[in-house]
Amino acid sequence: MLFPTVEYALFFLTVLAIAWSLYRFKTIHKLFLLLASYVFYGLWNWSYLPLLIGISLFSGLVAQRIQKSPTHRTRKAWLVGGVIVCLSTLGYYKYTSFLMTTMLQVWSRFGTPPHVEVYSPLLPLGVSFFVFHAISLLGDCYRNKVKEPVKIADALLYVAFFPQLIAGPILRASRFLPQLAVKRNPNALRINRAFLLIVGGLFKKVIVSNMLATRLVEPVFAVPQSYGAWDTLLAIYGYAAQIYCDFSGYTDIAIGCALLLGYRFPRNFNAPYTAADPQEFWRRWHISLSTWLRDYLYFPLGGSRKGSLRTYLNLMITMLLGGLWHGAAWTFVAWGGLHGSYLVVHRLWSQIGWGPLVRWRATTGWKWMARILLFHAVCLGWVFFRASTFDLAFQVLGQLRVPGAATLATGPVVLVLFFGLAGQWMPARWRNGFEVEMGRWPALARGAAVAVAIAAIEMLGPTGVAPFIYFQF
Amino acid sequence: MVAGFVGVSLLLESDGLAHWADRLEPGPLRTVAVPATLAIEKTLAPLGVGGVREAALKNLARVGWSDDEAMLAEVASETQAGMGKPGRADSAGHNSPGNSACATTLASPGGNAEPGASGNALAGAASGANTPAGEVSAFAHAPGANASLANSVPKTLALAPLPPVEPGKPRVVALAGDSMMAVGLSATLMRQAASDKNLHIVKAFKSGTGLARPEVYNWMDEYPAMLGAEKPDVVIVAIGANDGQGFVVDHKVLAYGTDAWRQVYQDRLASFLAMVSAGGACVVWVALPPMRVPVYDEKIAAINRIAYTVVSQSPQAIWWNPVSLVGDEQGKFREFETEANGQAMRVRSTDGIHLSDEGAGKLTALLMKWLDPPPLKPSAPIHSPASQPAASSSANAVAPEPQPAAGHKRHPRKTKSQTAKG
Repeated sequence: MLFPTVEYALFFLTVLAIAWSLYRFKTIHKLFLLLASYVFYGLWNWSYLPLLIGISLFSGLVAQRIQKSPTHRTRKAWLVGGVIVCLSTLGYYKYTSFLMTTMLQVWSRFGTPPHVEVYSPLLPLGVSFFVFHAISLLGDCYRNKVKEPVKIADALLYVAFFPQLIAGPILRASRFLPQLAVKRNPNALRINRAFLLIVGGLFKKVIVSNMLATRLVEPVFAVPQSYGAWDTLLAIYGYAAQIYCDFSGYTDIAIGCALLLGYRFPRNFNAPYTAADPQEFWRRWHISLSTWLRDYLYFPLGGSRKGSLRTYLNLMITMLLGGLWHGAAWTFVAWGGLHGSYLVVHRLWSQIGWGPLVRWRATTGWKWMARILLFHAVCLGWVFFRASTFDLAFQVLGQLRVPGAATLATGPVVLVLFFGLAGQWMPARWRNGFEVEMGRWPALARGAAVAVAIAAIEMLGPTGVAPFIYFQF
Repeated sequence: MVAGFVGVSLLLESDGLAHWADRLEPGPLRTVAVPATLAIEKTLAPLGVGGVREAALKNLARVGWSDDEAMLAEVASETQAGMGKPGRADSAGHNSPGNSACATTLASPGGNAEPGASGNALAGAASGANTPAGEVSAFAHAPGANASLANSVPKTLALAPLPPVEPGKPRVVALAGDSMMAVGLSATLMRQAASDKNLHIVKAFKSGTGLARPEVYNWMDEYPAMLGAEKPDVVIVAIGANDGQGFVVDHKVLAYGTDAWRQVYQDRLASFLAMVSAGGACVVWVALPPMRVPVYDEKIAAINRIAYTVVSQSPQAIWWNPVSLVGDEQGKFREFETEANGQAMRVRSTDGIHLSDEGAGKLTALLMKWLDPPPLKPSAPIHSPASQPAASSSANAVAPEPQPAAGHKRHPRKTKSQTAKG
């Protein structure tokens, strides 16, 4: 059930109506949302529901053991055991195939590898996300960030809550569980905000992302040698806009839906292509993942507390594993490696204390130059992220040297590319102002306006709905 | 607010909702949704919003915004009619007499089918080449529509040589199908063909489609629109992965696997084949590979038998079964393979359905050799293509592996329904 479908609209409207009719009965309300989440997931594939329930139940039980453990040692033992089980589950489903392929390829360099009769496990939808939720629950309990005793029903709902189940944002147990402890308040809802997020998300996904994918990015990445430099460059920019609009569109809809149900999710994107340095980029891109990696991987590795060299190593490890989290392929590792090296180079660059350089770095001119440089460095990473093989990635990059006209730059493509990239420069006050303005309209008019906006998006979008890119992760 | 949202949504989208309900798979939701949405549509029809929407969509197509091939073709046709020009069907050459690239060159679709499986596959080979386009949409007259179902499908990879490419006139090759074409095979073929001046590839594939549900995606409308003015000499088809599902005909649900279902599906498949070969194109029908999930694999095997039944009746179509390239020795699913040179590769994607790029590359290598064969060596004996059997020793014939002479084991077929795959 994809978000931009009639099926999801009917499902969500039904859940919304029933959930608010039950809001006075806290436990029943939560159990209903849990049931709805399982139905949502089960409609994709019922066979993986036991895995989802199993992981969330396991993490809930281990979280209780951590909270009840009398000594630091036993707490740590429960944490390590729980994390190992969670990561093993993720590793089995996500990386078995990758490891087998790599092993066979290495083996075939030294001799004939054996015939392999086993199959890679089929990847359960959203496994990377719900496993990370489970680990967050364990980590937050271990660090005493979850103050109240964990209830199993709450743990189940935290991991499986349907708006974030498939592709995030990755919630923190310490911030979501307290929301489950209090009764929903219909008067505290920011309905206009939620509708703006949903409509904006649909616009980004259905129009910008889908059109760029089908008319610009897919043709070039399918047969790079058929296109010259301008088409290739446009396709690389197009993918930068596509993946941003695809993923941020999904999370905007998720945040909007959760808001309508009375829950607050963290912001996941904050105009990432306006960043002027790699550190800032990661504070703006997939914020829930980058902070997760920071808190549960980079900091435990020692962060920046153990000297410069160790800091660079920790950055590289974090980004390489972050790349591998995105997909089980060496191209994703290369993408993570590129970003790790950007972070290291930026740290080295920032540490140069030569006076004129420090002053120059503070100028507006340098800020803009840095933004443009960073954007292109990020685009270079996206080529490896998008291409299925290194050969293909280098072929795409190689086409940048081949003269050729911009045959794919049709009016609609250029227009949506502009919206996809330049939209990030839209001042936040515009949206806030519109939200306030919308609040002055009669309720009937607000509902009608949302319906008209959604109908327009449906008409302007390409036929069919492509799955969200991050579903595969 | 909810009233405003629901009221305006129903007003603006009543047509779309009825269309959505009609496209649902047979089941409880469809049973409820179809009459409900039709009632809404009927009630709101007098307001004329549907007409406004239709006009808006056409205007979007006129300014190049729409990607709906059928809509674009309709708009182009209207524009041309308004200017007094002939319609697109004429310019595309679909009414022209056939110039089949392979009808006269094929001797056999493969000699290893079970006796009686292929019937008189190539009887009257030349007759189908001149099928007028007007007959294409007539299901009742489509070739193969009433043929009895084949018991098994040949595993042949033999492809009789095509006529040589004329200098300066590249061979036009259309790639048609669902995700079985779109994932892996199309990309590897297009990449290979991109550097070959003798080949011109036309994309005519769309994931998530099939021949079983024309109300969801009508290939009879979309395929000509995707071709535009192109006139393919060869059409490579890989389709059917989503077709193991029931459908509704004349308000009656036909469950997957029933005789009635099979007959209608076979008719639709035959009509599609008649359409893609109507301009005289040689059609290579790529059999679907074995699938990982047993229930789904049995469905695909049944789809293959129906496809083969139809394909074997067409003089312009070649049944091409790559199971020996991507399956195991028994023709069953395998994910990894070790080549004779010791190189290990994954031949299937991790979903257990589609081909990986490496697996598709194996098919592509053979197809490319057939589509644009390397020049004959001076010392090679010159054969007349028409006189050679498909798996002959001609330098350009593609028959990589000897095929077993015996027929194939028959497996009991289950008819348990399964949701559509990619």
